[in-house]
Amino acid sequence: MVTHAAAREAVFVLRQKIAKIEGVLADRLDAPSVSPDDAGGILLRRNGHAAGTGRSPLLRTGAESFDAALGGGLPLAGLVEIHGSQTRDAGAVAGFALALASLLLKEKAAGPLLWIGTAGIFSETGFPYLPGLYARFGIGPDTFLFCGPDRLQDTLWIAEEAARLNALSATFLETGGNPRRLDLTATRRLHRRALQAGRPLFLLREAASVEPTAAPLRLVVAPARTRSRATLAGPLVHSIGPPSFTVGIGKSRNAASGEFILEWDAAERGFRERRQEDHGTENIGIVVSASSDRPHPAPAARTLLAFPARDPDSGPIGDEENTPHRQPSREQYETHRSA
Amino acid sequence: MHPGIEIAEADPAADRRLIEGLADWCDRYTPLVALDGKDGLFLDITGCAHLFGGEKALLDDILARFFHQGFDLHAGIASTPGAAWAAARFSLSAIEEGGEEEALAPLPLPALRLDAAARGGLESVGLRTVGAVMQTPRAPLARRFGKFLFLRVDQALGRVEEPISPRLPAPPLAVERRLAEPIGTMEAIEQLVGLLAATLRRDLERRGEGARALQLTLFRVDGAVSRIAVGTARPLRDPNRIGLLFHEKLAALQDRIDAGFGFDLVRLSALSLARLEAWQADFSGEDISEEERLVLFADRVRARLGDHAVLKAVPVESHLPERAAAAVPFAGQTAAYEYTPTPNPSPQGGGGLCSGIQRQASTISAREVATTSPSPLWGRAGGGGKKPHLPERPIRLFSSPEPVEAIAAEVPEGAPASFRWRRVFHRVAASEGPERIAPEWWRGDGSEETRDYFRIEDEEGRRYWLYRQGFYGESTQVPRWFMHGIFA
Repeated sequence: MVTHAAAREAVFVLRQKIAKIEGVLADRLDAPSVSPDDAGGILLRRNGHAAGTGRSPLLRTGAESFDAALGGGLPLAGLVEIHGSQTRDAGAVAGFALALASLLLKEKAAGPLLWIGTAGIFSETGFPYLPGLYARFGIGPDTFLFCGPDRLQDTLWIAEEAARLNALSATFLETGGNPRRLDLTATRRLHRRALQAGRPLFLLREAASVEPTAAPLRLVVAPARTRSRATLAGPLVHSIGPPSFTVGIGKSRNAASGEFILEWDAAERGFRERRQEDHGTENIGIVVSASSDRPHPAPAARTLLAFPARDPDSGPIGDEENTPHRQPSREQYETHRSA
Repeated sequence: MHPGIEIAEADPAADRRLIEGLADWCDRYTPLVALDGKDGLFLDITGCAHLFGGEKALLDDILARFFHQGFDLHAGIASTPGAAWAAARFSLSAIEEGGEEEALAPLPLPALRLDAAARGGLESVGLRTVGAVMQTPRAPLARRFGKFLFLRVDQALGRVEEPISPRLPAPPLAVERRLAEPIGTMEAIEQLVGLLAATLRRDLERRGEGARALQLTLFRVDGAVSRIAVGTARPLRDPNRIGLLFHEKLAALQDRIDAGFGFDLVRLSALSLARLEAWQADFSGEDISEEERLVLFADRVRARLGDHAVLKAVPVESHLPERAAAAVPFAGQTAAYEYTPTPNPSPQGGGGLCSGIQRQASTISAREVATTSPSPLWGRAGGGGKKPHLPERPIRLFSSPEPVEAIAAEVPEGAPASFRWRRVFHRVAASEGPERIAPEWWRGDGSEETRDYFRIEDEEGRRYWLYRQGFYGESTQVPRWFMHGIFA
């Protein structure tokens, strides 16, 4: 639109001025010289009242270009719409939303998550499954609640009531198709309440076409092929690496569109962006299912290296933590004693 | 036959329903109402009569109201159930305390509630009135007719305590309001609930307790009685919150409550109480904590949509995927929850989701969840330090595995090259497995088969959890394939 650097600067200054008068945020992306955290002295106004200076806090996903396209990250309050084009994509949609929740919980454990859906959508796409949530996203038994009433209006009512609660870290509302009840008014009610509580509400829409809603951000999520697991001998063919998502920005405040392939790193609890040239070159996960729930459980992924870093002060090779059953030999024990 | 006679078939079940309905209606006089045979009601009005202006006024009120409803009624008041029974049936309206002997003496033998054989025996020896029986020496009569005869006499005279068995347990606390003008709108009822809850609060505060279960009883002017109960996860005393719970319940029941010509008596009773310590509020203006707000939210959802509306996922000690997680009703983070599987889920509320979860949950005994939640595996994982490696599990699990048509599966134990699920063709791009999960032989009848699970990615990147049930070549039956879950 505006290509010349000086002209961009001028437009930006004008926008800042307008924003100061109106009390709303200017576009984030067009700020070449201001860091995204700097509010530029704008007093935000909401419903005629000052809502504090500065921007609302953002959730950084860890994938830089994705965050940049969103203007710093996802909004931590309000409605976020996550679309899946088919019912079959429910795994990717739910996985992406849960990954965002996992990021939230990693930053601060404020309270449980609430997942709301109709009984129909649960039977069609499956119930959220706790062991899977825990293994992938670290969402434990006490942090996951769900509601599954029969009717859509009941789910909307629950969502409206839940959106007001500060005690919940995030609320998920899952719907299928384009129900008439979930119109601009209904989404605005959800959005206002979530904004007021300062908590995110993820609206997951399975098999839905795009229609106008009050959500300031709409992401279109589809599954993406995973990379193969890497071994010392190169990528393991026909293996399944970490979960990958194709995330498109359908609508956002700064109208920057784009499509990103994001990978969820369960060990680090963060997103990573994948570029076309990336291939399985690093150690991602383990190759075979390790035994679990045994007297000697397999150690966690990534704690066991092929060649542990050797500390010159320590005696024998190998660290105590990884080999707890290993006893020092009698001679070693003696020398240790005498030293 | 005489044309004026209307003939109707006897319907004992309907008669029973009618007398129970009348008993419900009599709740307006006393909480202790018992059925007496097929045609009678006992009302224990101890401590209730003064609310209606004395016993005589109470009796007149009952008679007048039943008369207006179209019932021909005989009633009697006495200080013992036996004497009252006789008074009602032999048209003595009231028997003063101490006057039982005198009042009963001229009555015939049926006034003693004796069976036909005993009555016939007594009449054959010339004892035709109650007075005659009472004056006869006891020992010979007891020897001949049994102790039961004098038990009845003593019960009628008050020498032996006779309990009546009320239909409903008497609530520990109840407040009610009688209305000169019947109300019919939901708003009016809710307003009244608020007023009653405020009265109830004083009593609860005095006892240092809060209500765990509340019941609202609405008495319609024409005799129908509606009972609306709500439960709470935490003891509750605050009128606003009680009002909120009933607001949700009434909103859910809106279509089912028929106000008719209005309700003229509304009662709020606390069915069960629990200790509630008072907390000093701070000056921030926040009267309840965030967590309490969450519990209240869960209570409200439960009041509106049934007991299984807000569920919490808990791990269960089982290696079978569908048993490894269960859903129990959410009752706050700290409140201990005792899980009791419900054999027949209530028809209202809950609904489809519950039927799915119930099936999973009801196979788990109460003790199992209580002792294994959190299971040691989770406890170890949550306790910081080293996180054990957990097996890869899908994030969504189908409550009943869906059959899949697998094409060109690698024999004997490999993943299919492609499969058809929900009539859509998927070509497999990558697969991992098998992970063999054997059934729990110590449970069930042993008819379950071993499953081999595969993680499968199709060409578009969707990841599924498929399993093969049974083995190739072991029997003539070809193994079947199922879809059990979806990965992120």
